[in-house]
Amino acid sequence: MTSSENSNVILEADKIHAWFGSHEAVKGVSLSAVMGTVTALIGPSGCGKSTFIRTLNRLHEEIPHTRVEGQVILEGKNIYERGVDPVGVRRKIGMVFQKPNPFPSMSIFENVAAGLRLAGISKRSLLAEVVEQSLKQAALFEEVKDKLKAPGTSLSGGQQQRLCIARALAVKPPVLLMDEPTSALDPISTAKIEELVMELKKDVTVVMVTHNMQQAARISDKTAFFLMGELIEWGDTSQVFTTPKVEKTEQYITGRFG
Amino acid sequence: MSTLWQKDIHRGDRLFQFVLRACAIAAMVLLLFMVVNLGYRSWPAFKVFGLKFFVSSDWDPVNDQFGVVSFVYGTLVSSALALLIAVPVSVGSALCLTELAPRRISAVLGFLIEMLAAIPSVVYGLWGIFVLAPLMRETVQPFLGKYLGWIPLFSGPAYGVGMLTAGILLAIMIIPTILSISREVFFAIPRAQREAALALGATRFETLWIAVVKSSVSGLFGASVLGLARAFGETMAVTMVIGNRAEVAVSLFAPGQTMASVIANEYAEATTDIHLAALGAVGVTLFLVSWLINSTARAIVSRSERRGGAGGR
Ligand SMILES: Nc1ncnc2c1ncn2[C@@H]1O[C@H](COP(=O)(O)OP(=O)(O)OP(=O)(O)O)[C@@H](O)[C@H]1O
Ligand SMILES: [Mg+2]
Repeated sequence: MTSSENSNVILEADKIHAWFGSHEAVKGVSLSAVMGTVTALIGPSGCGKSTFIRTLNRLHEEIPHTRVEGQVILEGKNIYERGVDPVGVRRKIGMVFQKPNPFPSMSIFENVAAGLRLAGISKRSLLAEVVEQSLKQAALFEEVKDKLKAPGTSLSGGQQQRLCIARALAVKPPVLLMDEPTSALDPISTAKIEELVMELKKDVTVVMVTHNMQQAARISDKTAFFLMGELIEWGDTSQVFTTPKVEKTEQYITGRFG
Repeated sequence: MSTLWQKDIHRGDRLFQFVLRACAIAAMVLLLFMVVNLGYRSWPAFKVFGLKFFVSSDWDPVNDQFGVVSFVYGTLVSSALALLIAVPVSVGSALCLTELAPRRISAVLGFLIEMLAAIPSVVYGLWGIFVLAPLMRETVQPFLGKYLGWIPLFSGPAYGVGMLTAGILLAIMIIPTILSISREVFFAIPRAQREAALALGATRFETLWIAVVKSSVSGLFGASVLGLARAFGETMAVTMVIGNRAEVAVSLFAPGQTMASVIANEYAEATTDIHLAALGAVGVTLFLVSWLINSTARAIVSRSERRGGAGGR
């Protein structure tokens, strides 16, 4: 964990444990993300990837009867410190979910503007500017520029997912969490979103769960392999995929289990 | 063997379709029969009074003068009052039950509230006479009169019974309906939508607003329309507390009468043919007004759904 890049670490999880009732889904995971990189979380279904990523923006605790232990250091501050407002944390960490979830009552424009409005920005010209910019960033602007007033749910699945990315980006979060953002999408939409992520990492640090090995290999800088709630191996993507240090990782990557 | 089996299914399907179709036709025939019959019964009144029946508020059985306006007014005002009170209360409680209360408590309370809808309306009426009306006469109306008496709506003597009391009682009666439907509407909103709002940095309250309430608008509207329909047709309890006087009074403290309550009140005692026919004509009017309001409401719901304000599904 200690390396020369240490000074650029923007997000660091330190011995995170997470429970659903008495079931411990994440068992002491520590890893960190350097500014401007993409970290991929891989591992078989049910190994705690989603649970872990949801502890990074304090979303896990919104489910009744859950508990988190450990620290998450965001820009030098522990977000689990007593007195830290989870709402403020979530404004700094965007999240994109597996299933696109635009607000059905809002237009395309309003969906992207939602985060800004929550932050108290209501000046029309500023909203319009940021909405356009975010839609462009999410590679969606050309497709929707003539129907910004249409409901967000009127778009295709892939477009909805890019809309959700634009919505998350609009508040300019330094970190973006993505939980299998392409698993519900067709190959073309998937390719678009992958391209987008590589483009985005100039401005945002991305932590992404994926079930797709090729995807992890293609777009991530670091890869973390989870198994039954534990972090088995974590390192540079090229190293993890070519010369894994742990046998379990190799077996998983080569498709021998999971 | 497999073809035989398929054939059986096919025959079952046909039978099922036939039964369904018969039921649908029977329901329509019955409705048609009722309309025709009601129209026939009330025809003498329409023949004598013509359009005047719909624009006159003069209802005087002794002198054979009949006009429906004061009853339409009574129905509309008491129902509107009921909605005005019941919708915020029901939607607010439904929100508390689904979003804030622990699941166990929410389930128990939800069940109790649904039981409230099963209480016969005459029981509500009795409660209205024994509890609500005295409370209105001795406490609520004097209080309102003292502080808001300068508004014509709250002027005049406190009888206890009257339009306001009927509106409040109706509100209590339609709250279970609106509340339980609103609860269903909120339950149907996927977790993912709330999480979308939370992840954007919405507070709990903001999440309720943008992820839950805003996308439930058409569902809540539908719930209110059902409540309104119940308030419109409610007869017994209203008759017991509205005061039964055929007049259009500005003050909500004054007695009034609704279309349903005048029919229930006078039908048994109507002696002349024209009086009976006039009561039938009140029934026709009630039918028309409810039909008009219901179809308008439906049109509004379907328009807002087409525009994308989906009902939380
Ligand atoms: N809402 C919940 N209530 C109780 N247990 C849960 C809940 N969500 C997940 N779990 C449990 O926590 C463990 C980890 O689940 P998690 O969703 O984090 O896995 P995952 O790695 O994201 O799997 P997948 O790849 O299928 O998305 C699983 O054993 C699961 O059964
Ligand atoms: Mg998952």
